[in-house]
Amino acid sequence: MKLSSAKLSKESKGASPSHGGHHKKSLHSKRPSHCSVLPLRPVDQLEQWPSATVDMYNSDNNHHHHHCHQQQQQQAQTSHTSTSRSSDYLAGGRGDSGEASGAGDKWALRLLKECARAIFDKDSSKVHHLLWMLNELASPYGDCDQKLASYFLQALFCKATESGRRCFKTLTSVAEKSHSFDSARKLILKFQEVSPWTTFGHVAANGAILEALDGESKLHIIDISNTLCTQWPTLLEALATRNDDTPHLKLTVVITENIVRSVMKEISQRMEKFARLMGVPFEFNVISGPNHLGELTKEALGVLEDEAVTVNCIGALRRVSVEERASVIQMFRSLGPNVVTFVEEEADFSTTRHDFVKCFEECLKFYTSYFEMLQESFTATSNEKLMLERECSRSIVMVLACDDDQDNEGECERRERGTQWSERLNQAFSPVGFSDDVVDDVKALLKRYKAGWALAQPHQKETGLYLTWKEEPVVWVSAWKPLKHSQNYRN
Amino acid sequence: MLETMAEESISNGFIKNPVTGSNPAVVAKKRNLPGTPDPEAEVIALSPKTLTATNRFLCEICGKGFQREQNLQLHRRGHNLPWKLKQRTTKEVRKRVYVCPEKTCVHHHPSRALGDLTGIKKHFYRKHGEKKWKCEKCSKRYAVQSDWKAHSKTCGTREYKCDCGTLFSRRDSFITHRAFCDALAEETARVNAASGMHSLAAENFNYQLMGNPLDTVMPFSTVFNPISSNDEAVDQTRRGFSLWMGQASQGYDSFGKSTLQEIHQFGSLNPGSIYGDPMVSTSNPPVSDYQLNWVFGNKVSSGNVEDHRLSSTSLPFSNVKENGPQLVSVPSLFSTQQQSHQTPAFSMSATALLQKAAQIGATSTDTAFLGSFGTKCSNSQVQDGNKHSDLYVSNTPSDLENSANGISTLNQLQMYPAKRRRMQNEDSGGGGGGGETRDFLGVGVQVICHPSSISGWK
Repeated sequence: MKLSSAKLSKESKGASPSHGGHHKKSLHSKRPSHCSVLPLRPVDQLEQWPSATVDMYNSDNNHHHHHCHQQQQQQAQTSHTSTSRSSDYLAGGRGDSGEASGAGDKWALRLLKECARAIFDKDSSKVHHLLWMLNELASPYGDCDQKLASYFLQALFCKATESGRRCFKTLTSVAEKSHSFDSARKLILKFQEVSPWTTFGHVAANGAILEALDGESKLHIIDISNTLCTQWPTLLEALATRNDDTPHLKLTVVITENIVRSVMKEISQRMEKFARLMGVPFEFNVISGPNHLGELTKEALGVLEDEAVTVNCIGALRRVSVEERASVIQMFRSLGPNVVTFVEEEADFSTTRHDFVKCFEECLKFYTSYFEMLQESFTATSNEKLMLERECSRSIVMVLACDDDQDNEGECERRERGTQWSERLNQAFSPVGFSDDVVDDVKALLKRYKAGWALAQPHQKETGLYLTWKEEPVVWVSAWKPLKHSQNYRN
Repeated sequence: MLETMAEESISNGFIKNPVTGSNPAVVAKKRNLPGTPDPEAEVIALSPKTLTATNRFLCEICGKGFQREQNLQLHRRGHNLPWKLKQRTTKEVRKRVYVCPEKTCVHHHPSRALGDLTGIKKHFYRKHGEKKWKCEKCSKRYAVQSDWKAHSKTCGTREYKCDCGTLFSRRDSFITHRAFCDALAEETARVNAASGMHSLAAENFNYQLMGNPLDTVMPFSTVFNPISSNDEAVDQTRRGFSLWMGQASQGYDSFGKSTLQEIHQFGSLNPGSIYGDPMVSTSNPPVSDYQLNWVFGNKVSSGNVEDHRLSSTSLPFSNVKENGPQLVSVPSLFSTQQQSHQTPAFSMSATALLQKAAQIGATSTDTAFLGSFGTKCSNSQVQDGNKHSDLYVSNTPSDLENSANGISTLNQLQMYPAKRRRMQNEDSGGGGGGGETRDFLGVGVQVICHPSSISGWK
């Protein structure tokens, strides 16, 4: 749907890539708006396109085929969500189509990669061809391949048409409208129930925090995340039960995603109530102002002298634009924390940001893993799974189709790997290992989930812990303490 | 720490109450230190090697080793000995007590010897041994295989039920859910939530039957230390009491909705601990004495002040004696924990209480003790307050009835009947409590839980 709206706006504004040819315009203008996006019955399509490459560029053929297909499209509209259809398609498509159609299991990856390359090469005809193919095959309601095809197609299209920014804004406003406390809570809790993707980082970080702040009576946790405070109930419970003296806890949440802003009021009420029940003296603050984390100051965060400070960043570093990351890390150090915990997803969209194809492949690899994980963790018809997938669409568009030069208002999503973050963090911090107890806790946590998850402790040079899904590291968590003042950081 | 307590309890159980019905391995409570073991007993000091030897009993015929004497006897029969030799060659030996070979250990001294060989062996492993046995599910480690087995049976089988009805098999997701559950947000459910949360806080206690009750006790013990004023004391005890509620109600993992079945799961532990207290002081006519004795219970009578944990809490209470019933609540929590250990002494009353509880539990709404209490509290607040306070003073069997609904709730109502009524009347609307941190108790916990007052305590 989004794609069609993008295409519509494209049509209305008459925008087209500079290298667009005449035939492309006619292709789009002749095409009724409603059928450009909907997955058609691919078998029908392919039968009429025996040699896909050639026919694509024949405008007469295009017009003819489009007219023919209208009826079929309308019929197909109602049933395109069935997965059995998609499998039919896959079976049928394999034999008929030519070089560009998907063959075998990884048709989506192949097509997507080829399309990305074509965009990079500015091969417009190939781009069109592949975009069209993908459009036929993709569906956000199909199997993993189809979903990936759908979301990445959107990003590719935005890239090709340079409409990434606009698309992102549209997606964001749609998401904001449907975002509520209940839906967000349900979503995140369900996700945590079926997958340790987020709880892994929480357990490890909480363990490190509790150990580092043991004995302190005034704690100040600066939580830079969008986890809706789901990390903290277990920490509060631990504070209440395992310490002789229950310390005072001040929790300052810095939210980095605008969408989350609206629910923080409700979250704060719940957290305060819960802390009361736990018997933990508690203070809660939310900071949602600055778009740039580097602008935060001790005063803005309300850091007091007698507090034991910890900074907890869950997926926060990647939202900082690449150039500002070093200064943000220094800012953290300037807060004088006892311990700093970071949780990030393991992917590299940062060093590849100038190489579109490479970045695309990294992105595709990461989200393939993520989508497969979602597929296996949730039930087939889970609404939560659908919502999580949709949330990815914004990130994917942002990474692939939005220029870094533009001020993305803290919506950057350029992930880095644990080793890369470590290099940065070593400028201001030194790593703190996770104790055996914490490692045991994490292992016990993973046991409570379905098979496929494991904990990987890196080799000597590396720090932190990795959560692996099917032996691929996917999430990285680490704990750090500031370098002593006498230790100068290397630039 | 736990092991010390467990060991003490075991030692006490064996020396003082040889026919105790309670399961020492399950009891993880702070006990009074025993008096001297039987002075006539023969003190055996085994070397660590002997102690850890697995086959101490050797057959003189073939030299085969056995872990238990009975097994050896059984084996000897197989040798077809003449009748004469079948008899035990030695006369009945006098009672043996064993000391721990570890010099730094408390039980190394003969006055603290343990009366059972198995006991001293387990103690040695638990306290001074390597924890070789590890629970697969939660990675908790144990030195004694039987401890590990017992834990493994219950590990992961505990079901946590939230007020909203959702069941959880994992504690962490239960906690997280609870924090965001709508049931938590409702003021009317605050009592349930409180009880439930306390059980949550006490989950450590529940979860590990042989675990560290005092570890969960400890966090709250210090709350009661610096009592500077009566009001503070009251608030503290109230708060502590409420927090302790969950700990007392060990069997209640669900927030306010645990069932009797769950209680029974814990066997004798719960009933003893929950119902032991009120029965302790039944014999003390004066109300104030009753309360005081109830509070200090066995602690006072046994004259035990060696336990530093308890003593730290007993001191403040001696100061606030005059404040009456309200202050009793906190110490009662401590003595509550002792109850299960001394179940034999109060087994009659505890059993009676349990039976009453079963009746009441069956007849009340499906929600169990704390849950029913919560319902009562919110629905018939004034009435309950009156009823409870009357019953409390009179010590009639109806006391049992109310206490069957949970010592915690009983105490709450009894302790602070007037205040509770007032508070509950004020809160009849249910809403946000006027913006104050009105809490599960609804009994002015806002005072307690207000950060400034809390820090004032410390």
